[in-house]
Formats: sequence, structure tokens, C-alpha cells
Amino acid sequence: MGLREYIIRRLILIIPIMLGVVVLIFAVVQFVDPYARVTLYLRNPRESDPAVIEKFIQAYGLNAPVYVQFYNWLTTMLQGNFGYSAYYREMVLPGLLARVPSTLEIVLFSAPVIILVGIWIGVKAAVQKDKPFDQFSRILSILGTSLPSFFFGVVLSAIFIAQLRWVSAGRLTPLLSTQWSLMRNAHTWHVYTGLLTVDALLNGRPDFFVDALEHLVLPVMVLTFIQTAVLVRVTRSSMLEALSKTYITAARAKGLSKDEVIYRHARRNALIPVVTISGLLVGGMMTGLVITETVFLFPGIGQWAATAAQNFDVSVVIIYALFSAAVFVLANLIVDILYAYIDPRIRLG
Amino acid sequence: MENQQTVAQIKDLYLNFYTYDGVVKALDGITLDIKKGEILGLVGETGSGKSVTSLSLLSIVIPPGRIEKGHVEINLKGKTYDLLSLNDATMSCVRGKYISMIFQEPRAALNPVYTIGDQIGEVFFHHRKAELIESAITQLRMDLETASGLKAAIYKRELSLYEKMRDDPKSRTVWLAQKIPIVNRFRNRMKGAARRYIVDMLKSLNIPDPGRVIDMYPHELSGGMAQRAVIAMSLSCNPVMLIADEPTTSLDVTVQVQILLLIKDLQRRLHTSILYVTHDLGVVAETCDRVAVLYAGNVAEIAGVIDLFKKPLHPYTQALLESIPRPGHKFVSIRGTVPSLVSPPKGCRFYDRCDYAHDRCIHVEPELIEVEKNHSVSCHLYYGET
Amino acid sequence: MTSTKRNESFRNRLQPTIKELKFTLTRLLKSPLSVAGLVFIIYNIVIAVVAPIIAPNTSGVRMLDPYKIPRDPTAGYWMEPRAPTSKYLFGTTSAQVDLYYGCVWGTRFAFQLGLEVIVSTLLIGLILGLLAGYYGGFIDEVIMRFTDIILAFPGLILAMVFVSVLSKSGWTTINAAILSIILIGWPGYTRLIRGEVLRVRGEDYVEAARASGASDLRIITRHILPNSIYSVIIVASLDFGSIVLTAAALSFLGLGSPPGYSDWGRLIFDGVAFASNGFQYWWTFMYPGLFIIIFTLGWNLLGDALRDVLDPLSRRK
Repeated sequence: MGLREYIIRRLILIIPIMLGVVVLIFAVVQFVDPYARVTLYLRNPRESDPAVIEKFIQAYGLNAPVYVQFYNWLTTMLQGNFGYSAYYREMVLPGLLARVPSTLEIVLFSAPVIILVGIWIGVKAAVQKDKPFDQFSRILSILGTSLPSFFFGVVLSAIFIAQLRWVSAGRLTPLLSTQWSLMRNAHTWHVYTGLLTVDALLNGRPDFFVDALEHLVLPVMVLTFIQTAVLVRVTRSSMLEALSKTYITAARAKGLSKDEVIYRHARRNALIPVVTISGLLVGGMMTGLVITETVFLFPGIGQWAATAAQNFDVSVVIIYALFSAAVFVLANLIVDILYAYIDPRIRLG
Repeated sequence: MENQQTVAQIKDLYLNFYTYDGVVKALDGITLDIKKGEILGLVGETGSGKSVTSLSLLSIVIPPGRIEKGHVEINLKGKTYDLLSLNDATMSCVRGKYISMIFQEPRAALNPVYTIGDQIGEVFFHHRKAELIESAITQLRMDLETASGLKAAIYKRELSLYEKMRDDPKSRTVWLAQKIPIVNRFRNRMKGAARRYIVDMLKSLNIPDPGRVIDMYPHELSGGMAQRAVIAMSLSCNPVMLIADEPTTSLDVTVQVQILLLIKDLQRRLHTSILYVTHDLGVVAETCDRVAVLYAGNVAEIAGVIDLFKKPLHPYTQALLESIPRPGHKFVSIRGTVPSLVSPPKGCRFYDRCDYAHDRCIHVEPELIEVEKNHSVSCHLYYGET
Repeated sequence: MTSTKRNESFRNRLQPTIKELKFTLTRLLKSPLSVAGLVFIIYNIVIAVVAPIIAPNTSGVRMLDPYKIPRDPTAGYWMEPRAPTSKYLFGTTSAQVDLYYGCVWGTRFAFQLGLEVIVSTLLIGLILGLLAGYYGGFIDEVIMRFTDIILAFPGLILAMVFVSVLSKSGWTTINAAILSIILIGWPGYTRLIRGEVLRVRGEDYVEAARASGASDLRIITRHILPNSIYSVIIVASLDFGSIVLTAAALSFLGLGSPPGYSDWGRLIFDGVAFASNGFQYWWTFMYPGLFIIIFTLGWNLLGDALRDVLDPLSRRK
């Protein structure tokens, strides 16, 4: 089957999965009593008045049979209403979208580091197997997978935020943070991308840019360390496997130099399985974000959902779960297509 | 056949593998020579060291292996070169050019993510780049005569790049030009030249529709086709010696025959010396001029193929020939098993499986002695019979 | 006559497995890293077992749940943590909770939780995986779609959903957490076992058994199960560390153990507030963190070593 058919088939497969995801969430939510569930249908904060809630329970048939409820909920969501958060006192969908850019900033700074550093170390460690660099990288990657990210984050924040006071918790230094809110309210700060670093430059405020960058360092460090450790491990073992193949000996027998053999022949093959696990890495990053943002009080969607979960605010947790699932499924789809494209054995069947 | 030139020789080669379970003494003083234009068979069971020997000829030692001592030499244009003393950079000019190798599983010997053309092309670009450049230059000069305007300007630029490549290969300009995306298209002329050579090679090996095959990936080819492609790759630079490591073992019998005939034909036409590594005595009888029998890291016997089959001297060779299944005869196998090479016996390594073993065999290692003309054996039965 | 034959053949069949185990063990002991891993794990097991002895309840108050850190009523409820002393070996955290007790019993708790989760996920995975792999067809499709849906979520996040929903409907957070981890864990094992069953199913001896008329149950229990379970046991033992880590992460987010519980994650959650004072109250988060690291490190090292040992390339040389 050609590449195009493969892509189409995979795209179509997403629909039942996403449907299943929605059904699962719905089933889980049914465990909660109607008064909590009704928050999913409220259209604005004013409707959280108890009298209104009663009406809503009747209107949306929250005491009605399951399939009726499911239908109601589905249509509500498709209309763009994901409910109301009792804890944050805001509508859920806008709340999510408002915080996505902050999380995106962390991701945008972390992802290239993870991929480039991880692959570079992994390849080099495999090539220099059992030599000092390899031993060092193995220790690092074992540490990375054994160190709980939250502990790492807490220790770093104790050292750099509390003890050395190099940077504060949160997105910006408190002073600049207040300034920023004021500017936003007075419309002297224009939001171009939502990414603080980029916007700071576009607004001509290098001081904000530097500050925002400084506050990204620790969260990015925690996130990348753990994910890079995983990537190094996979890359190394994949590279070792590739280097043991006959075509490598054959390539050397042709007279190719060691470098050519490693980088032209072995690495290309080694990266194929690495591409496949990149999808999982995305999932790991999303999980890591929840913890990292919580530790550093970074105002992204991870921290938003974590606090909501602690306070059992169902609607926020649900939309976060749906969002994560969608991102994860999409990431895996892209990875699958990429894999089919790179490996001629898959592409040409 | 007499007084033939020797093209390569292995002298007293010792090779060990350093593993978790101990030091495996894989090669215990191998001595062989390969004459010009002959097919030398290298026979042995698994673990006898035949693959390791063939790789040593290319100075390729896969860790945890290590060559302890010995010499591997080739004789080119009157001079002898000790391959083990050359550094890797120099050796990479020898491999693929003067000595080539083909492998047992052809599709495993090819990189699955590159096309056949790419992989054969690698050999050309590595060893015959000068020819490609010349070919490109000639073509460019021809095109320049008929081109005009923008095309001519581009061609002039290309020409200067190629000439620079030819005269000053390490120049910065050339290096830069190869890195920049659209500019590096100038190399397409060389690729085109290489392509023509490759198509010719594939044709000469009876590969149908070479123009299509060149763009195919290894998994798209059958075993036989893939092996021909690998052979094409190995002959691209007309090597003096070809090492064939069990090239037909994994192929269908009918395809086997084709490949064998092909190899013999090549020997006839190109006078390439071939080291044919195998465990199949039938193939040896059909194909080889001389045979070396390997056992547990030692050369047991070397002889002309007819002599070996008619008058095997070493007990191992005799037992091997006995064990070839024949209709009407009972199944015979050699009793015992190959000794552990981690702690090999002090004397002859075939001692405990040999029907003629005597005292001397336990304590003293036999040496390879030429007992008759062109027939050497390492066995104490012939001690003192030079 | 047949019974002795069966006993004989059972021993014969077990021989190669025993040889494999011996071989694996000797290889494991050769690498310093794997020895370290084993040492860590044994250390943890010992601590978990002797917890009642080395960290007894000295408060005088009887606790129904030994994992709830007992409080000396005379100690008071001051929020400020006290530094380590001879009475409180690791110091105290907020509300004068004894960290030593918490960390030591935390080891025991980690094992208990881990075992509960592993056994449950293995059981579910085994049953569903065997069904899906052996019978194929519709059952397989249904089970696979189920696993697909759960695996469409990044693990911890789905666990968060489960915990918040279950807690809201009356479950204790800790039980909710355990159930959540089981719920996100079973698909992985189901898939793994299904894969193994599919592999074994194609082997010749299964064909032979079927040809000789053996019933489905017999084939499953006597042929498929023993041959597919080996790699599964290995994955499960490696997974042990990450299960405990996930539980600790949930507790750290406040979605696990209640306050004053012997759970490393919970203790760090309590300690986070004091981390904002730098290392002034270092014991509140360093001790639990260290315990976690030694635990997970042990399992990861062992896992790495096992993986290396089982790598067919480096074995037979």
C-alpha cells in the first residue's frame, strides 16, 4: 500500500479512537453526582447560582438515561462549550486556551534540546561503547530515569530560587509581573503570539525578554533532563543494534571510512526506531509538564489542571485529559507517518 | 598453473577474542597463500575460523577480537605490502579497490534504506572519483559548445568547480559548494556518470532491466538478484582479489548454480583471484583450483582440488570426505566435537577426534609441512617426510 | 506409570529453565552496576520487612493503620519542622510529623502498593491478553480497542482524572490512586501478553498439541502460558520501580496519600512549602527524596542489567 493510502487509513482510524476517548471520559464522569457534573454545561459564571443549577439539571436531563446525557454532552462540547470551573470561576475552554502559550514556550525550548542532545549523546555513546564517554552517558541516563522529576525540581528550586535567589518562581519576577498585568490592562502591551519571550521582543521590551528567558531555565532543565535520558537510552541501543548488522561490515569492506560508515549507514538506520518512540516522548513531556509547572509555579496548563485536580474540579480535569489525549494521538499519528516515510521497507511494502 | 605469482599471503596469523567467558584463541597460526587468477577454497565447519580469516585479509577485526601477531600481505605491481601495519585511512583505499568481499546473506549485506544504485555508487565515489570527474568535465565541455546564455554561464561555473575538484580536492570552495542545497546539484553530472558505469556493471552480471534495478531497495530484490548486485559492487574497481564468504549458502539451489557459474566466468575473464570460503565440499569440487582445510583455527591441509579429493592426507580431511552423504552408504559423522577454543589442547587440536592419534599429538602442535608438490598438511603422521 | 512419566518430563522440562536462571544470575553478578542494583533492592526489602522493629510506634497511641504516622500527643502541632534529633532521627515536617517513621514505613508502603498494582495488572493483563491472543477475532478486536483508548492518554493524566472523579464520589484518595494506577497499567500488560501469546501460538509444538486433540484450556495452561510468561515477569519486575514512582508523583500532586501518611511522595508534597526557605529545612524533602531514588535506582539498575544479559548478541560469544 502506498504512502498516501497509509496516511488516509491512519487518519480515519483516529475517529474511533477519539470517540472512544470521549466515551471513556463520559463513563468516568458518570461516577460523580449531578451537581458536580452540571458544571460541564454552564455557559457563563452567572449560571452557577443554585436555582439556575436545578433548572440545568432538569434541562440537560442529568437524571435521564445515559445515552440521552451522552448526546447532550457531546452536542454541548461540539458547540464549543466545555463547561464552567467552580474552582477557578471561569469558563473552561477559554481558561485552557489562555494558558496554552505558556506551556508551549516550555515545550518549544525543551523539544530541540531533547532531540538534538539526546541523539548526539546516544550515537556517540554507542560508537564509543564501554569507553569513558559511554560509561558517563549510561550513568546519566540511569540517573535521569531514576530521579523523580518532582524531587529534582524541588531540589533545584530550593537551590536556585530559595537559597541563591537567582530567579523567582512563576513566569516573571513579581515586579515585572505586576507591570505586565498593568500594561495588559492598559493595552500598552500587545499580545502577538502569546509566547512571552517572542512578544517581549516584538513589544520592544528586552528586559521582559531576558526575565522570561531566565524563568524558563529551570523548568526546561527539569523537563529535558528526564526526557533526554530516555532518548539517550533508546538511541544508544538502537545504534548498537545497527552497528552489529552485516551491512556495516560490508560497508567497511567497501573501503568506506569509519565516519562514513557510522554516520551515513548506521545512524540512518538507528534513527528509525528512535522516530517511533518520539511519540511516546511527547506523552512523557505532557506528564512531565504537569509536575514541572507545579513545582516552579509556572502558569501553564499543567499546573492549571493539577491544582484543579487537587480540588476535584471535574470540568477542568476533563478538558485537560481530552486535550492531552488529542495531542498525544496526533503526535503518534505524525510519528507513524514519518516512520512509514523514512523506512523504504514500509513505504514500498 | 606452475610458477604462478602469489597475489596475497597470510603468514602465521594469531587472533584472539576477548569475551566474558575467557579468551577464545580463534586463529592459531594460519598460513595461506593465494595465487594470481586462482580460486582458493577455504573449507571448515562453523567455528573453524574461516570467516575471521577472510575478514583479517581486509584488516577488519570485529571487537572483541584482536590480532595478536602475524602478517597479512598483498603483492601489487612487484611490491609487497603488510596490510596489518597500515593505518585505517590507508587500508580504506585498499578495501573495495584491490581486495573486495561478498557476503553470505546478500540482502543483509546491503543497507535497507539506500537504493542499490546509491550503494554501488559509493564505491565509485570513493575509489574512482577521478574518472567520474573526468567524465563530467568531458561532458560539460561538449555541452558548453552548444549552449548559450544562462545555460552556458551555469555550465562554465560547473566546469570550474569540477576542475577545482580535480586539481585541488581539499579546496574550501568545493567543500562549500557540496554543502549548499541547490548548488550541490552540480554533482548530478558525476552521479550520472556513475550511473552509466553501474548500469554497465549490472548488465554484465546478467541483471535484467538494470535501469530499474538501480533505483530499487534491497528488500525489493530476490536473493539471487541481490547477490549479483553485491558482486557488481565488489567488482566495481576490478580488484585483484575477491573474498567470497559463503556467497551461495543462503540461496536456492538453482540460483546457486547461476552464481557459481558467474563467479567462474569472472575468474576467467578478469583473472581475479578468489578466496572462496565455504563448508560445502560439493561447491569446492566444482569451483576451486586449490583448497585449504581449516580446523579449529589451524590450517589442516592445503592442496590442489583434485589431490585433496583423491588423496586426502589429514585425518580431518579424510573424515570430512567420508561424511559426505552418498546413496547406498551409511551415514558417517566425525565422532566428538570441536574443542573449546578458550582452553584449547596443547598439541594437535584434532587429537580427540582422530583415529590415528598417538602420543606426540597430545604434546606437540603439528606444523604445516609440504609433503608433496603443492600439497601441505599439518599432521604428525607425516612428521619428517618433507 | 503415566504419573512418573509426567513427573520426569516436568523435571526435564524445567532443567533448561533452571540452567537459564543460573546462567542469568552468574552473568548478573559480574557487572558492578547490576550488583549495586541488587544491593539496593535487597536493602529496600530488608527495611520494609523490619520496619515495625526499627521504627516502632512509640507514641503510646494505637493506630489502626500502621502507615499513618503516629503522633506523640505531647509533641504539639507546630507548623515549623524540627531538625533531626535523637528522638526524631530524620527530623519532623509540618505539624510535627516524624519523618523517620514516614520514610521507613514508606518503604513498606511502596512495596505493598507496588505489589497490589503489579499483581492486579498482571492478572487482568494475563486474562485479557490470553483471550485476545489465543481466540483472536472479535474478542481480540474489542480488547484491543479498549487498550487503544486507554493508551491514547498520557498515563499520569488519565490517573489524575480517575483520582479526582473517584475522590469526588467518596473514595479515599489513596485507594483512588491505587485503582487509577491499575487502570492505566493493565493495557500495557494485555498488549505484551497478547504479543507473546501470538508468537507462541505460531510455534510448532502448539500445532502439534492441537493436532493431537488437546483442549483449548490444556493448550493454554500447559504450552502457551509457561512460554509466554518469562519475558512478562521480567517486564513486570522492571515496572515495579516506575509504578512506585507514579504513585509518588500522584501523592506529590496531592492526589495520593492523605496528610500524615508514610508515603514518600506525600512527604515531599508537605516538604515543598519548606523548600521555599532553601535548605533551612532540608530534611523535609531530602530524606524522602533519597529513599525514592535508592528504590527506583535499584530497580532500574537491575532492569538494565537484565536487559543486557538477555541480549542474545552478547550472550553466546
